Amino acid sequence: MTATAPTTPTPTPAAARAPRQGGRAGEWFLLYGLSTLGALVLSALLVEATGGDWRPVVNALLDGSLRKPGRWGETLGTAAPLLIVAVGTIISGKAGLINIGQEGQLFVGAAFATYFGFLIGGPGPLNVVLILIFGAIGGGLWAGVAALLKFWRNVPEVLSTLLLVTVGGQLVAYGLSQPWLLLAPLADRGNRNQVSTQLAEDNRLPRPEIFGNEVPLAAVIAVALAIIVSLVLARTVWGFRLRMLGRNPRAAQRSGVGQTRYGAAALMLSGAFAGLAGAAMLAGGGFSFGNYQLVPGFATNIGWTGLLVALVAREKALVAIPVAFIFAGLRTGSSFVGATGVEGRITDVIQGFLVLALLIPPAVMFLRDRRRARAAATERV
Amino acid sequence: MESGSTDPAGAVPAGAAPAVAFRNITKRFGAVTACDRVDLELHRGRIHGILGENGAGKSTLMKMLIGLVLPDEGSIRIDGESRAIHSPLAAANLGIGMVHQHFSLVDALTVWENVALGEAGRLDPGAIRNRIGEIAEQYGLVIDPDARVGELTAGLRQRVEIIKCLRRDPNIVIFDEPTSVLTPEESVQLFASLRQVVADEGRAVVLVSHKLDEVLHATDDISIMRQGQVVDRLLAAEADAPTLARGMVGREVSLRSERAALGVLSVDEANGFDDTPIAPTTGSTATSASDGRRPVLSITNASLRGSGGTPALQDLSLDLHAGEIVGVAGVEGNGQRELGDLLSSLLSLDSGSVSIDGTRVPDGRSGAMARAGIGVIPEDRHDSGIVLDMTLAENLVLVDQSAVAQRGVLDRRSLDRFARAMIDEFAIQCAGPDAPMWSLSGGNQQRVVLARELAQNPKVLIAAQPTRGLDVGAIEYMGERLEAAAEAGVAVLLISSELEEILDLSHRIVVMHSGRIVGEMTRSEVDLEQLGLLMGGAA
Repeated sequence: MTATAPTTPTPTPAAARAPRQGGRAGEWFLLYGLSTLGALVLSALLVEATGGDWRPVVNALLDGSLRKPGRWGETLGTAAPLLIVAVGTIISGKAGLINIGQEGQLFVGAAFATYFGFLIGGPGPLNVVLILIFGAIGGGLWAGVAALLKFWRNVPEVLSTLLLVTVGGQLVAYGLSQPWLLLAPLADRGNRNQVSTQLAEDNRLPRPEIFGNEVPLAAVIAVALAIIVSLVLARTVWGFRLRMLGRNPRAAQRSGVGQTRYGAAALMLSGAFAGLAGAAMLAGGGFSFGNYQLVPGFATNIGWTGLLVALVAREKALVAIPVAFIFAGLRTGSSFVGATGVEGRITDVIQGFLVLALLIPPAVMFLRDRRRARAAATERV
Repeated sequence: MESGSTDPAGAVPAGAAPAVAFRNITKRFGAVTACDRVDLELHRGRIHGILGENGAGKSTLMKMLIGLVLPDEGSIRIDGESRAIHSPLAAANLGIGMVHQHFSLVDALTVWENVALGEAGRLDPGAIRNRIGEIAEQYGLVIDPDARVGELTAGLRQRVEIIKCLRRDPNIVIFDEPTSVLTPEESVQLFASLRQVVADEGRAVVLVSHKLDEVLHATDDISIMRQGQVVDRLLAAEADAPTLARGMVGREVSLRSERAALGVLSVDEANGFDDTPIAPTTGSTATSASDGRRPVLSITNASLRGSGGTPALQDLSLDLHAGEIVGVAGVEGNGQRELGDLLSSLLSLDSGSVSIDGTRVPDGRSGAMARAGIGVIPEDRHDSGIVLDMTLAENLVLVDQSAVAQRGVLDRRSLDRFARAMIDEFAIQCAGPDAPMWSLSGGNQQRVVLARELAQNPKVLIAAQPTRGLDVGAIEYMGERLEAAAEAGVAVLLISSELEEILDLSHRIVVMHSGRIVGEMTRSEVDLEQLGLLMGGAA
């Protein structure tokens, strides 16, 4: 089939596809390998071009993400919120909705978690659970604003979720400036402005130490969520109906899958995951995510990067697990790159190259199939 | 049209080098051979009918001519020269144009914008509008260039496709099932102008169809394809319908489905060339059934404003009783689509109500109609009937998953079992329950819809254009299924623009015009002339 085929897929005999797909698995693997290698070579060239040496940079990346003591635990801690955000993104994506406001939903979720965490207090372990739940509620409500606009006023969720990131950021910043909302009492914050009280010891997510690394509980939660969501989408009636809605809204409407009900649920759930990620960052702490307290800029691009993870994983929750770990590794590794004399933010560019590298193979396969078909035809005529 | 400038060979009489010659063309899709050593010639100034059932290889053959599919073996000669047609662009440069069965229009754009799509250089809206006007006049394809395509009926969209194709002034024009969405009147008009154009302008025209009558009346040469091969070539003047039908299916078909396959160009003509009297079907019981019993489905004073502000349904009332087949006849675009959508919960009424067994069903509430027991075979299955990206098995349980799920979790094994049973019962040709829906042919997709809707044990079954695009065998099958459903006590509403189909199957016939029911008659008292007048809004 060529690019000019009509939008509805032309039905071809099933037999035409089935045998070819098995033999193509190897080609896919090779392509992904090559494009990733290409991205790495390009990154190396970039390092060289900026006056650095690529070998120490690679070493620094590996040291920072895996090899040095405590670093892989740190990478896991970063991967956890990325994965949680990505899994949420996959849920709304399956329903045919494009949520790109995770960064804001995450921040609002963290703010909810902070506020209600202190408001309710309570004994430690229970309060941790409450903090996570309120994070999810906050993120869900924030996405709910976009859902309301979409299903009540037909505002595209792509726009509303994105714009609500800024609004959410401003609102939380306001909250952080008000003692009756999020701002810590003077005694707790010294002379700092816009900072919340630190979570008490027993209100934090545990990080048991294994092999010299602190393994954050958040990572276990994230992986469990990815597996659960993957199963729910594939195996439950609810997941089935959500996929139906995403693929053919009119068939779904006729079959009792109301766009408003299921669509709003998917969008809010997606926001809830982002909010949960925010709460997990707050309660999970660690090197990357501050000090168990809410500050402006708390989200530190985890929402945006989580969106990229979902994009690269191509709506497969299980695939998102390794992808989240790789992206987390780039992030934790980058803090070591600075020591080599190369700008640490070079990893942002590397990350960009990698995203492209992982999105290129499907396009290449498509183009090559067509070229082959043409070449074969020219030979024959 | 000024075809002389682009086509110096235009005046060459048939008999010179053929405009197109397929030589020994073979195309395989995996294990399926779609075209098997096909030889075929198309001549200027003649309309060539290619007749065959679904899957006979007609469309594949034409897709090779238009550059969408590449042959595995064989060659295509255009005006005697061997050509490799790699892309639709190459085909266009060779003067080949095609009017597709499925539309490739952009709904959000206007008619003239759609016609201008794909043009290089600066847009000249005025010139394009004028050109549309010229073509409209010349071929009787009247259309408003500024209308938005999304608001047009299927018949009018087809017009836009045809205009799009003719605007490039092609030497070779392919019509792929052009009348499958046209009303009988529009079809007659199209073929009349087509013939004139072909004779006057020396174009070679291909008419791909499975309607015997159409091929018989509108073409000069006929090739019959079956299982990828050309099995018969004849002159239209020497052919008759039974011969064509036999050639097409390779077996004797029952009279009824044969008649249905003939299609109708017009009521009179249909009566004229088919000398079997239209016998009343099993309608006697149904007529009495509608007396005094409570209707299963009751539509009361339904009114609905269409997208353009014009009324789509006007004060429409209709009762349907258990065990009867009620045919809704009418020219397409007179509210039939809205009626189907209403009963699929896709539309909300401005006023009026729908009831099942006397209980009101909320209109427009997602799934309400289906839950109340209304099964629907929709007019366009791709629109609301199936999900192409899901598997066959999943498509069989779109509406109700309760039989294959426990406590909200799908049971893969019982889904698989259910799907296999349906595949067997409805003879669905596929690679298995997990085959993606898009991999099935149109006829088999339609069987999946039928299987699913009947498996729900509906009280009411709406069949909207259920045999559109299907071949003789499938038409026959669909008719039998609908009759069996009615016999089992289902109230069947058959919405169709194929009058033959309605006359064959219905116990009672209502006629729709401008969103109203303008007439009603039982099967035994059908007056074709009266019916035609009602459909035309003249009675």
